[in-house]
Amino acid sequence: MPHTSNRDASPTSALEGLRIVEVASLAGAYAGKLFANLGADVILVEPPGGAATRHRAPFVDGQAGPDRSIEFIYLNNGKRSVTLDLDTAEGQAGFRALAAECDLVIEGERPGLMAQRGLAYPDLLNCAPSLIMTSVTPFGQTGPYSLYESEDLVALAMGGFLTISGYPDREPTRIHGNQSFLTAGLYAAIGSMLAILERDGSGVGQHVDVSIQECVVMALENVIQFYDLEGRVRQRSGLTQRYTGAGLFPCQGGYVYVFVGGLAATRFWGELVRWLREERAVGVERLDGEHWTERAFRETKEARDTFAEVFGPFAAERTSQDLYYAAQRRRIPLSPVATAADVVSNRQIRDRGFIVSLFSPALDREIAFPGAPYMLSRTPWAATRPAPRAGEHNDEILGALAALPAQASRVVSEGV
Amino acid sequence: MALPLAGIRVADFSWIGAGPFTTKLLSDFGADVIRIESGTRVDPVRLTPPFKDGVAGVNRSGYFTDRNTNKRSITLNLKTEEGRALARNLVTQSDVVVNNFSVGTMDKLGLGYDEMSKLKPDLIYLSMSMQGATGPDKEFIGFGLTIAALAGLQYLTGPADRMPVGTGTNFPDHIPNPCHGAFAVLAALRHRRRSGQGQFIDLAQTEPTMAVLGPAIMEYTVNGTVPERSGNDHPDAAPHGVYPCAGDDRWIAICVMKDVHWDGLRDVLGRPAWADEARWTSGEGRLRDRREIDARLSAETSTREPYELMRALQEKHVPAGVLQRGDELVLHDPQLAARDHWVRLDHPEMGTTINNSPPFRFSRSPSSPTRPAPLLGEHTTEICRDLLGLSPEKIELLKDQGVLA
Repeated sequence: MPHTSNRDASPTSALEGLRIVEVASLAGAYAGKLFANLGADVILVEPPGGAATRHRAPFVDGQAGPDRSIEFIYLNNGKRSVTLDLDTAEGQAGFRALAAECDLVIEGERPGLMAQRGLAYPDLLNCAPSLIMTSVTPFGQTGPYSLYESEDLVALAMGGFLTISGYPDREPTRIHGNQSFLTAGLYAAIGSMLAILERDGSGVGQHVDVSIQECVVMALENVIQFYDLEGRVRQRSGLTQRYTGAGLFPCQGGYVYVFVGGLAATRFWGELVRWLREERAVGVERLDGEHWTERAFRETKEARDTFAEVFGPFAAERTSQDLYYAAQRRRIPLSPVATAADVVSNRQIRDRGFIVSLFSPALDREIAFPGAPYMLSRTPWAATRPAPRAGEHNDEILGALAALPAQASRVVSEGV
Repeated sequence: MALPLAGIRVADFSWIGAGPFTTKLLSDFGADVIRIESGTRVDPVRLTPPFKDGVAGVNRSGYFTDRNTNKRSITLNLKTEEGRALARNLVTQSDVVVNNFSVGTMDKLGLGYDEMSKLKPDLIYLSMSMQGATGPDKEFIGFGLTIAALAGLQYLTGPADRMPVGTGTNFPDHIPNPCHGAFAVLAALRHRRRSGQGQFIDLAQTEPTMAVLGPAIMEYTVNGTVPERSGNDHPDAAPHGVYPCAGDDRWIAICVMKDVHWDGLRDVLGRPAWADEARWTSGEGRLRDRREIDARLSAETSTREPYELMRALQEKHVPAGVLQRGDELVLHDPQLAARDHWVRLDHPEMGTTINNSPPFRFSRSPSSPTRPAPLLGEHTTEICRDLLGLSPEKIELLKDQGVLA
């Protein structure tokens, strides 16, 4: 419905005018956030008492509470919240009335649950013919694993990512930070946005079925192609230099990652050797010679070991910051292995104003968090409101719904 | 059924990792993505293994093909004025420009946003330099792994008692950068449709990875705590980890998030006496003794076949999954097969190759790539003829002069 084809007088946000219902879930949360921060009106639907995602650690000041989950605060800024019990007829009627005024529903419920509630995509189309619905689930809506239980670690396992991550002498280890859910949120946002653009032409919505397992598969780099083309199964390799001159090295107070081998990076090798020579690194002469330009030699263990024996002690005497700026002055790809504190104090990140802050009335304090992942020159990213309290916007949203049945509005006013 | 991006043209100057993955998210949905390539300074990923049958060649890398489905390729020598003029012409016929060069490179070629937007005011122009278009370190350079380091991902990933092992991949190139870049372009396309305006999109290849580490960064900005590596541990659930199974380097992920999962796990293990300890009936107890439980559980799982154990646990509704290898994903995973995740495309030089579908399905629109990655310069002639309006004689002349190279 509110599909705007007329040309407004220069909207200042790219997604203004889009209205989105997000059934609160970890799988859909980042998708909703991406829409909200570019100007869409995103309404979080939580069960009475608030979403389960409000109770995930870590918490502000280490104290649990529905408005204190750091992850929830981050993933839900810019959204409004209503509480509806989707397992009751009243809540379902409220949800249908809400969906009827929206462009997109994002949900991450177990496959089949929305249908049990009478809220499956075909059900919602009855009240909103151009509606788009995006479902984000561990394995997708169909297939033999569609009802399997999952968590981030299970998704990383089943998507193949864990077999290539970690040290070979012990168990594989996962990428930090619930990345399978965030990746799924990103793809859910892309799939939803594609469906919106298509609908703006056709006038018809559609269902977008996102599989978290498949989202993880997208991160496998060249694993599948190594198997398909060369019959090789890639395994985890710990901190072995990926290519000669590409790896992590300890330094004063931390680590650096240098990348002067493999992909396009071998062209930086010569400059790194020049730098080591000018700094009189011990053993630098071992990096001289024609054989260092030959791929066959560079792929040997001897080459990797020699590089480590020369660069390792050189790095160990210096700080990550000194190495970073000295290398980059010479246009050598080297970065510190940053902690969260290093990220925040990085002068480039500060200069770009990447960390932003919002006052949270629920916590009575400022909350600083990572801001714009992209800068759009005409329609900038914006964090306009802190994460909502559960049901904070019940009156202004549910009270204004044209199609809300009387009994549902009574439930709403009682603060469900 | 119309593809969502039918009618959209993308002049794609990007190469290597993050850029081409971004434009794959456009080409697989119907955009006409034209890779502007150099035949003399070839995209290094074209020269990076794996190669078909292990034989190197610019048209034989699977690292390249998977991220370049449904695109066209023209070779243009941007070191020549005529090559740059043809590139400008292509830009004026495009809706979107994408590049991931260092800051200033496109300007030096006369292809920067300021100049191009004068020729085509509604152009959407995505620039993906490593550190963004502004700031004191904007000229600094990097690759996926150094970006993961600078963004905080490397430090946080790995066992607590070892050096930060990271993911073993160029993760920022594969997920955070291309996905954020593509979403920004799609949002800008909607804005253009409503307002007639184009815009410049500045994506620093560090910031999307920092964005997906939001909660970890906030542990510092909000609580003043510097988060450390925690392996496979969960902050408030145990056992939660990766456990050995029978076979060579076989593992299963098991996540006991609540008491019913613990009950289910014990059932599947045959109710061993050690697991009946009263101190472990509560989540707090299991969390406190997680290392002890991990050791006990590992001893149990190490004799079990991983897929059988997964199925048994899933029957009891316990979140569990086998750590699947690449060969298993392609050959044996019934879920990926049922959803047609793998798309086999016939490549002129490589034969049948396996490609990723996007990880979602539409109920109406198609969502699978239909054409393999282009050969280097495969579409030079047709693009010169159909878009640039050049005669066959002129095309031959420009080829001889090294402009179309």
